[in-house]
Amino acid sequence: MWRNSKPYWLVLPTVSVIVILFFGGLLEGLAHSLGYFPAAGQLDFSARAYHKLLSSKDFWLSLWLTLRISLLATLFSGILGMGISLFFLRNQQRKSRISLWLQGLMNLPLVIPHFVGAYIIVLLFMQSGYLARILYGFGLIQQFEAFPVLTNDPRGWGIILAYTWKEAPFIALMIYPVLKNIYSNWLEVAKVYGAKPWQFFIEVVVPLLLPAWTSSCFIVFAFTFSAFEVPYLLGVTYPQMLPVLSYTLYTNGGWERMPEAMAINVVLTLITGVLGIMAYKLSRRWGMPGGRS
Amino acid sequence: MEKLTIKGLRHYLGFPMGLLLALTLALPIIALLVNSLSFGWHWPDLFPQAITNRAWSYVLSTTSGTYASVGLSLEIALIVTLINLVLGMPGAYALARYSFRGKLLVEGIVYAPIIVPAFVSTMGIQMTFLRLGLTESVLGVILAHLAPTLPYMVRALIISFQTLEPSLEDQARTLGAGWWQCFWQISLPHLVPGIVAGASLSILISLSQYLITFLIGGGQVVTLPLLMFPFINGGDLAIGSAYSILFSGMAGLALYAMSWVLKHYYGKRLDFHI
Repeated sequence: MWRNSKPYWLVLPTVSVIVILFFGGLLEGLAHSLGYFPAAGQLDFSARAYHKLLSSKDFWLSLWLTLRISLLATLFSGILGMGISLFFLRNQQRKSRISLWLQGLMNLPLVIPHFVGAYIIVLLFMQSGYLARILYGFGLIQQFEAFPVLTNDPRGWGIILAYTWKEAPFIALMIYPVLKNIYSNWLEVAKVYGAKPWQFFIEVVVPLLLPAWTSSCFIVFAFTFSAFEVPYLLGVTYPQMLPVLSYTLYTNGGWERMPEAMAINVVLTLITGVLGIMAYKLSRRWGMPGGRS
Repeated sequence: MEKLTIKGLRHYLGFPMGLLLALTLALPIIALLVNSLSFGWHWPDLFPQAITNRAWSYVLSTTSGTYASVGLSLEIALIVTLINLVLGMPGAYALARYSFRGKLLVEGIVYAPIIVPAFVSTMGIQMTFLRLGLTESVLGVILAHLAPTLPYMVRALIISFQTLEPSLEDQARTLGAGWWQCFWQISLPHLVPGIVAGASLSILISLSQYLITFLIGGGQVVTLPLLMFPFINGGDLAIGSAYSILFSGMAGLALYAMSWVLKHYYGKRLDFHI
């Protein structure tokens, strides 16, 4: 009896804490989104909040903005992350001081929290910021109005920049072990068969790397889609990214708008949940860190 | 011939590429540092005309509340991490060593907070916390920080358990070691790298929380992110920069101290027993 049930007893503390504190919160949010609200004497369920949300222009604008920003940020950090990973792999043999310094610097975006990252983007990219000053120094612009508006801009370029800076090292870190494995296992074979370096990259590295890369990209997408701090600091009041819209409705909307905020949260949960399952399936099917070489 | 050119090109490109990468990574730190010391920094100048310690003397003064919030942030992160360690250890052991029915479901439950944002769940549970009197309290904030941090601890411990040879434990047991002795003297020293990794993530994520601390703490539990947020959200640029550096320093030092203590303690024990 004990032998069979032992693993269940062992996972019980972890699982119960997450079920109560996390899934409990999700369920309570779902109930609120359906208009169930005992504190205000509302005990019946209705889909009114969803109806209102899906027929409002603000929601769809926010959804498109959120999708656009997350997609671009994921794409940029995915490509940049792969580049960084390849760069470190190339320089791995010569343990020069520069590459050791670089490796130390790489940890920086990982340790600095998102809201500080967003703030750094403000300092660098605002119209009178550091980059505008550097461009002026080179004589490329004459006044700061000539520098494009890249922070708190309606198209979200500041948010994309912040996420790219923060997530590219994450992707590099996730795919580095896989990349290293591919190179140490297949490079010699490919050379024996006379493959040129670029052929080796296109025909061997890319297909073998794709699962780990795609899986990390899904995680980054899910994160950028649903995180609050960066768009709150770098966004504009209209249109807002979905997490910020939810927060605004929740804190400033009063009791009537609260179900709508919760409905947005349900949408966020569903989308990130599906992305998470997809990332898992991808990594399972093709085998994750290390690959199956 | 063609190969030679490409090789030469790569040789020449390697250095500027590295420099560019270093600059991209280091520029933010330079910007923060210069900003925090700036005084009367007019538009086209690359560096401020004068340097002042105004921002730093405000941040480090006793009236700013910095010391209290640094202490509170570290206290919450430490307690959250200890709870995670105690909760996660048996769970990670079971997930690494046993295959049982419903394991996939358990993994799904445990990893869900990595992918679904914590503020969604926190907004939902806020009413219950309010009813139980957990809002505006440190205890409530600690409970709110558990969900987003625990999965990372479990993940790190699972990886560690997987690299620990089960036969080592069996040998100790045959030699007469009790369950506790076996865990304390055989398993735990092997798990130190995993504990360091899990605790680092747990501390880092707990320290960086703004929204869920704000929602549950109701502005009464002032951790460092809450204290500095008004400054970086359209406030004083110099003070915002100083706080950003202070925050990164605090996080870095906390991680360093934690890994030093764990490795130092267990490194000695390990040597002694072998």
